[in-house]
This record gives sequence, C-alpha cells and structure tokens, in this order.
Amino acid sequence: MSSLSVSEHVVDDVAHTAAKRRRERLAQWHLWFILVVVLGPLVIYPLVQLLLLSVSGAHGLSFHAYTAFFGNPETSGVVGTTLGILFASATLASVLGVLLAAMLFFKPFPGAKLVTRFLELFVAFPSFLVAFTLIFLYGSQGSVSIGLQRLFNLQDPPLNFLFGIGGVILAEVVFYAPFVVRPTLASFATLDMRLIEAAKSLGANGWMVAFKVILPLAWPGIAAGTILCFLLTLNEFGILLVLGSAHLITLPMAIYSSATVDLDLPTAAAGAVVMLAMSLSLYALYRRVNRRTGGRNGN
Amino acid sequence: MATEFTLPATASKPHSLKRIGAWVLMGFAALLCFWLFVLPVIVVALSSVASHWSGTIFPDGFSMRWFERLGSSDFDALTTSLEVGFGVAVLGTVLGLWLALALEGRDRNGVGAWVDTIAMMPNGVPSVVLGLSVLIAYHKKPLDISGSAAIVVLVQLALVLPFCYRCAAAALRPELTILREAAASLGAPPSMVLSRVVLPQLVPAIRASLALGFALSLGELGATLTVYPPGFATVPIVVVGQVNRGYYLPASALSLILLAVSLAALLLIAAKVPRRRIA
Repeated sequence: MSSLSVSEHVVDDVAHTAAKRRRERLAQWHLWFILVVVLGPLVIYPLVQLLLLSVSGAHGLSFHAYTAFFGNPETSGVVGTTLGILFASATLASVLGVLLAAMLFFKPFPGAKLVTRFLELFVAFPSFLVAFTLIFLYGSQGSVSIGLQRLFNLQDPPLNFLFGIGGVILAEVVFYAPFVVRPTLASFATLDMRLIEAAKSLGANGWMVAFKVILPLAWPGIAAGTILCFLLTLNEFGILLVLGSAHLITLPMAIYSSATVDLDLPTAAAGAVVMLAMSLSLYALYRRVNRRTGGRNGN
Repeated sequence: MATEFTLPATASKPHSLKRIGAWVLMGFAALLCFWLFVLPVIVVALSSVASHWSGTIFPDGFSMRWFERLGSSDFDALTTSLEVGFGVAVLGTVLGLWLALALEGRDRNGVGAWVDTIAMMPNGVPSVVLGLSVLIAYHKKPLDISGSAAIVVLVQLALVLPFCYRCAAAALRPELTILREAAASLGAPPSMVLSRVVLPQLVPAIRASLALGFALSLGELGATLTVYPPGFATVPIVVVGQVNRGYYLPASALSLILLAVSLAALLLIAAKVPRRRIA
C-alpha cells in the first residue's frame, strides 16, 4: 500500500517536472520569438546597420567616416562643446532639482502639491516648446529684456544671449530640473522621519540634519536622478535645434546636418556611433545605480 | 515669576527672525517654481492669442487671427500627428503588454535579461541617433519604407516601447500572479485567464500606457525630423520650422493646439497622469 503510493508519487513528480520543463522551454522560445520579431526590426537591426555603415568603406573595413566627421574643421571641437553644455546644464539642473525637491518636501508652501502635479504634466510638454517660450521671455525683444531696458533707461535691450550656449543651458536647466525633482521626492518619501526627529531632538541644526542625515540616506535616489538628468540632457535635440542651430555646433546637430543637409549617411553614422557610445555608457551606469536602489526611484 | 516671563520673550526674537527667513525662502521657492515651470505654459497660451508681441513686455493686443490663419499644411500636420500618435500608442501598448507578460516573473538572466535590456535600450539612445539608424536600415532594399508614414511610426514605436513596457510591467504585481495561478488551477484555460483575470486588472496600466504613448509621440521631434518623408511632417516639425524662420506667433497657435490635444488625451485616457518612466 505504502510502496504503491510512493511510486505513484514519484510518477506524479516526474510528470510534473516534465511539464514544468516543457513550459520553461516554451517560455524560452517565446522570448526568442519576441527578440527576433519585435525587438529585431525595431532596435537591433537599425543599430547594427548604423554600426556597419560607419565602418564600411569602398574596400571593406574603413574608418574613413570617423576621420571625415571629426576632421571637418567646422565640427572639430564638437565633442568638447557638447560635453561642456552637458556638464553646465545637467549640474545646474540637478542642484536646482534637489533644492526644489527638498523645499517641496520639507517646507511645502501653499500650492506645493499643485507644483508637484504640474511637474508630472511635463511629460506632455515637448522640450522644443520650452526653448520656444524662452524666446518670448529672454530674447532680445522679449519681456524680460524690454522690461530691463525700460527699468534702467537703456539704449538697447540688454539681453542678447539666447541664441547660443547661454540660451541652450538655460532651456535645458528649466526643462530637466523636474526630472531630478521627481526621483528625489520619491527617495525623500522613503526616509524614516523618526531619524530626522531624533537628530533634531539631539540638537542638530538644519544644516547638520540636511548633510549628515537626509543626504546620506536619500543619496541613492538623488544619484539616480542626477545620472538620469545627465543622460536626458546629453540626448536632447529640440532645444539645440531651436536655440543653437545657428551658431552652436553640437554632436546631435552635427549628426543631423550631415545626414539631412549634406546627405552623407556614413559620416553621420560615424558621429552617431560615438554619441551612442557616450549615451549607452551613461545609461548603463544609470541602470546599475537604479537597480541598487531597488528601482523604486526609477521614474 | 518675572524671570519666567522674560525667558520666552528673549527666546522668541531669533525664532521670529527665523520664521521670517523661512517665509522669504518659501516665497522664493514658490516664485521660482512658478517662473520656471508655470510661466512657459502661460507664455505659449498668451502668445498664441497676441496680435503682436515683440519689443514689449506684454502682448500689444489680443486676437484670434493666428488660429484663423492656420493653413491646410498646418491641419495636415495635425492630422498626421494624431494618426501617427494613435497608431504608436496602440501598437506600443500592445507590444509593451506582450513583453511584460512574456517577461513576468522571470529572473534576470539568460534570454529574459537580454529582452529586458534591449527593450529598454531606446531610453538611452539619443533620438537623432535612433532616427538615423532607422533611416539607414530602411531606406533601401531589402526593405524600403522611407517613403511612407510607416517609418515614422516605426521609429516612434521604438522610442515609446520602453515607457509602455514599464507601465505594463509595473502593473504585473505578485498578487496578480497569485490570482492567475488560482484561476488556472481552478481549470480556466490560458485565454480565459488572460481575458477574464489579467486584462481587467491591467486596465489602469493600459490606459496610462496609451496616454503616455500618445503624448510622447505627439511631442517627439529628433527622430521624426530625421526620418520623415515629404508630406508626413508632424506638428513639432512644422512648429520648429516656423520658429526657425521667425514666425513665432503662428507657431504658438499650433503649439497650443498640440498641447491642448495631448493634455486632453492624458486626462481623458488616464485619470491619473502617468509618470515618465525610464529604465
């Protein structure tokens, strides 16, 4: 009796593991199918083609496209310019974003909830529109410029920086600060408020609480938000097109103009591969940091 | 007694100073938020109904003439944007859901990790680079779709897919897995589990994914500008073209319509505005 039930159990177990293995294999095939049918044509094939075109010359492998892209006197300093703009605007946006998030969370003013909500609506606000609205505000004929001119009785409108590096940085700071605010708010929300109370009751002043308690605890979320801000700022295009297309040659603009104005796809591909390498390394860093924080701040 | 009364009085002086400081700081923060984030929206709205706005602090006068003067090319762009946006939102949501369901509950190794990484990759790829890649891959044989709207849909789909996938994946919580297993163990066939248990649970995520896909598609510029064939310009392309030629006020009118449409879609489809998810 007992031996019968044991063998039955074993048979059942074997059948069960076989079914499980079959299901596992089916799921595996399903994933391969998705990889080939969905992601293949959408992501993998285009990027591979880009890479191939950038290194293919008339006679096989060639790096002519790279020397053409970076040897062009107009685009020689292009990586430096792009990185300079990136560091200036992303650093400012991150500092501003963290400060704003701290203000919204720890000292909410009337309407802070509304502002938080509004920041979420920035999804529907394309970046080129931010650049565009700045023309009305800070352009040489814009409100602020004319206001300053009237205020100080100046001969000419005082502001004339918008169509260039200054305007690009201003627009990127305005547009990308909200992307730091949200992950930072999320990581503040996970703080244990008792620790802050404890620090205060033990006599720590505001600065000490901020730098010795809040910052170390919320650091992973802030770091993820900052890296995200750098990534998005590097990948920005609309702001550069509206405010920087005339005087400022940056990597995305150089790629775009070699592809669509000069119709030189291999040269554009060479620039694009370099930019892709920069973006993907930042992105890999972001995924690492974000995974370490459990991904809860990853939005 | 007297000492007891003087004590709080001396203590309250720095306190009230501190409070004034806090108020000033708060006012500054509120002003900064308004200035940085609310003002741009107001400016677009204000400039689209301005009869003239250059060299003055406020618009000279108000009129609806920029809306009345929107030509057929503007409306063509609007139609293209809406059609492409609709297609991208629906396709992105379906594909995102499929990906999330296929990857659900899988530990991050083997093919699953690759699928996850590659599906999320467009988040880290500059839009111009992705646009250029798609143009290179599909502008000549064996597959040439560079003359049709399909290439615009394809490139935007790749850009939107990570967001839709994240939306669906975030909604597939462990509780839902338990429900599915319960339904399956009670004898429900997989199709029934999907239609009666999983999809109803995912309705909020699907709505969020549709709204997000639509809004992102409407505002997409870099990749679309690189690949779009003649006759398929979307609203952002037309707006940027007008801005670069100095036609600011007509561009405002068109952008305001774009903003209104995408806001309406966000509010209509998703009661709660979804967050822009990445990674």
